[in-house]
Amino acid sequence: MREQEMVNILMVDDQPGKLITYEAILGELNENLIKARSGKEALDHLLKTDIAVVLMDVSMPELDGFELADMIRQHPRFQKVAIIFISAVHLTDIDRLNAYQRGAVDYIAVPIVPELLRAKVRVFADLHRKTRQLEMLNRDLRSLSARLLAMQDEERRRIARDLHDGIGPLIAALSMNNGMLAQQTKKLGPEVAEVLQQNNQLVEQLSKETRTISHLLHPPLLDEIGLLPAIKMFAEGFAERSSVKVAVELSPDIGRLPPNVEISIFRIVQECLTNVYRHSGSKTAQIKISHTPDKLLSVQVCDEGKGMTGTNGASATSGSSHGVGLSGMRERLRELGGTLEIQSGVHGTTVIAAVPVNKTMVKSI
Amino acid sequence: MRTRFLIVDDSELVRKSLRTVLQANPEWEICGEAPDGEKGIELFKELHPNIVILDFQMPGLNGIETARRMSEIAPAVPIVLFTQHASSDLEKHAREVGIRSVVSKTNAFPMVGMIEALLGPTDSEPAAADLGGSEKRQAE
Repeated sequence: MREQEMVNILMVDDQPGKLITYEAILGELNENLIKARSGKEALDHLLKTDIAVVLMDVSMPELDGFELADMIRQHPRFQKVAIIFISAVHLTDIDRLNAYQRGAVDYIAVPIVPELLRAKVRVFADLHRKTRQLEMLNRDLRSLSARLLAMQDEERRRIARDLHDGIGPLIAALSMNNGMLAQQTKKLGPEVAEVLQQNNQLVEQLSKETRTISHLLHPPLLDEIGLLPAIKMFAEGFAERSSVKVAVELSPDIGRLPPNVEISIFRIVQECLTNVYRHSGSKTAQIKISHTPDKLLSVQVCDEGKGMTGTNGASATSGSSHGVGLSGMRERLRELGGTLEIQSGVHGTTVIAAVPVNKTMVKSI
Repeated sequence: MRTRFLIVDDSELVRKSLRTVLQANPEWEICGEAPDGEKGIELFKELHPNIVILDFQMPGLNGIETARRMSEIAPAVPIVLFTQHASSDLEKHAREVGIRSVVSKTNAFPMVGMIEALLGPTDSEPAAADLGGSEKRQAE
C-alpha cells in the first residue's frame, strides 16, 4: 500500500508521441500524470487541479512554452509550481537564461536521458508533497492553538466563576457577621474587640486577594457590561499593583462587541500591560481604543520604556523572538482577521492591534 | 410602618447573612427573597417593597439590567447594588439605571448606615402602594 499521497504532474507538448514517451519515463514514479497538447489545455488543468510539476516543451504552436510560463507565474496560486522546460532547438545560454528568468527550475535538452528526467521530476514532486504536508500541519497547528486559547479563556472564566460563587459569598457572610459583632463592641472586652478588629482586617485582605485573582483570571465586568468598563477596571487595578501610571482613552461609541472579540481585545491589553511592567521599565502606559475610518477597531498600548530587543528602531510585525505573549496575541488576532504591529525604539514601545469590526454585530448595552 | 426589604441574590448564604444584619433593626423586615433577576422583578411587582438589596453577578439578568427594569416600574424605590465587584465604573453604570448606592460585599460594614441615610429619618412610608401582604415571600 502506498503511504504517500500522489501528486499531479502536468506534461505539455503539442506532439502526442512525446507525451507518450514522457508518460513511459515517469510512469514508475507512481504519481498522477496529466497530458495537455497545448498551452491553453495546460492552463485549464492548472486552474482545476493542484499541480506539483509542469514539464513542457518550449516550441509549441499558438502559445509557446515561455509565454505559457509567463501566464502561469502571473497567477499567485501557481507561483510555486515547478516548471521544467524540454527543448530540442533553443539550446543557447540565452535561451536557458530566458527560461530561468521565467521561474523554470530546470532546462533539459533533447535527447532526454530517462533516468535523469525521472530523478529531477521526483525531487520536485517530493518537494511539493512535503510543502503540502507542511501547510497542512501548519493549519492544524493554528487551529489547535486557537482551540487552546479558547479553552484557556473558558477555564479561566470557570475558575473565576467558582471563586465568585464559592468563596465570594463566604467572605461576604464573614464580613457581615463581623459587622454585626462590631456593633456590639461595648459588650466585648478590649482583648476580644482587638481580635475582632484583626479578623476584620484578615477578611478584607482575603477578599482583596481573591478579588485580584478572580479579576485577573476573568474580568466580571467584561461579560456583564462590556469591554470598556472591564479595561478601565483592569487598568485601575494594574496601576495600583504595579505603580505604573496608566492613561486610558477609550472611544465611547464602541458599545458591545461579540464575546470572542471582547475577550481577545481584553487579553491583548492585559498582555501588553504585563509586558510594560515586566520588561519595559516604563513608569507610564497609555491605552487607546478607537474606530478607524476603514472600519477597524484600533487598540494601542504605548509605554516610555527601553524598547524591545531585536525591534529597536524598526517596526516589527513578526515578533517571533519575544516569547509566548506576542505569538498568543498574534494568534488571537489571526482568528479575528486582525493584525498586530509593534513599533519599538529607545523611547518606548507601541503595540497596535487592528481588528475588523462588523458594525451590525455591535450592540449598545 | 416597618420598612420592607426585597433581597435579590443567587447565594443563599448571602441572603441569610443579609437577613441577620437587616432584621437586627426592629423597624426593618424582609418581605421577599429571590435568587435571580427575573424572579426578583416578579416579587418587586407583587410585593411593592420599600427598598431593594440587589446582587450584581447572577445567572440570567445581571443586577444592572434587573435594576433598570425595576426603576421603570417604580423609580422611587431605592435600589442598593450589593456586589463583590464594586468599582467606580460599575458605580457609573449603576447610577445610570437608577441604582442609588453600590456597597461592596467584602466590606459590608457601612451598609446599615448607608441604608438608613437612603431611607431618611422619617422615610418609613412605602415608596409604592403596599398591595402585598406583610408575610415574607420566597421565590426559589
